Amino acid sequence: MWLPAIFLIIGISLGLLTDITISDQYSNYLSIAILAALDTLFGGIRAHLDRTFDQKIFVSGFLFNIGLAVLLTFIGVKLGIDLYLAAVFAFGVRLFQNIAIIRRRLILQKNTEKQDN
Amino acid sequence: MKLRGRHVVLSLVLFVFGFLGSYSFQITKEHAQIVQMSEQEWEKDFFYRQQLIQMEEKNRKLQEKVDNYRKDINQLEQAFGDDEAKIKTLVNEKKKLQMITGELPIQGSGIKLSLKDSAYIPSEENVNQYIVHDRHVQLVINELYSAGAKAIAINGQRIYKDSFVNCVGPVISVDGNQYPAPFEIEAIGDPESLQTSLELTNGVVDILVNDNIEVKLETMERVQMDAKIS
Repeated sequence: MWLPAIFLIIGISLGLLTDITISDQYSNYLSIAILAALDTLFGGIRAHLDRTFDQKIFVSGFLFNIGLAVLLTFIGVKLGIDLYLAAVFAFGVRLFQNIAIIRRRLILQKNTEKQDN
Repeated sequence: MKLRGRHVVLSLVLFVFGFLGSYSFQITKEHAQIVQMSEQEWEKDFFYRQQLIQMEEKNRKLQEKVDNYRKDINQLEQAFGDDEAKIKTLVNEKKKLQMITGELPIQGSGIKLSLKDSAYIPSEENVNQYIVHDRHVQLVINELYSAGAKAIAINGQRIYKDSFVNCVGPVISVDGNQYPAPFEIEAIGDPESLQTSLELTNGVVDILVNDNIEVKLETMERVQMDAKIS
């Protein structure tokens, strides 16, 4: 379990240490990418708890979600419509759903453990 | 192996996620200082900027005024300089005129003419035929003036525009001061022209000599006359 934690720390420190500045118009892409990554992560955790976790689905979902979100934002910028809101909305809803499911599962797990005892 | 692969994938995703998250955080932190401003601050900022612009405008106008004033001052100074030069020439002219009218002492080259009663007066003749009369002196003075004399003095007394010369018996009175013969008439002016004009044929000197007066004419390098005391 320590390998993901180490990589998370490395990623965070690398992000803090990089001194590249991007112009304001690209910060939209960054935020939507983060949201996509967050969504995929929680989706993965939920799948793990559901015991339906699949590496391929997880990785492809991660990359595909990020790519789709960025593409949507790009198109939105080109068309002059705030299309990235769609991505934000979709990811936000899924995020809350996933978190709710995870919470429920964890609580149920604890309850069953108690009942077992 | 399967577990490890899962871990690798998870760590990769977490790595990317951590990187993106912290990077975004860093960027927003950098931008926050500039971008995040409350309405009040904006208004204040705008107000101060407006004030600054107004002040700069004011400054510019004042600077223009200062420039204009400087130009004016320059012109005035120039005018003063011109006036000063004019005044200088006027003062010089006034001095010259004052010298000529006798209000200031004058000096320069000129001639000296001395008229003397005849030394020999035959006893049978009228003595009046042999002495210097006021008309002789007047003649000389008039001739000298018309020859361009700047100033004339008789026995050291200057002749002014309202001077008079007349006979009082054996002496001649100049402005009320009596002088006996010989009379020394000094004139300031171009010596050559003065002398020439006096010595014309049938001129003043000839007339005087004909009237039995001893005339002595000499050019002077330097003649000095005092100012009128009034």
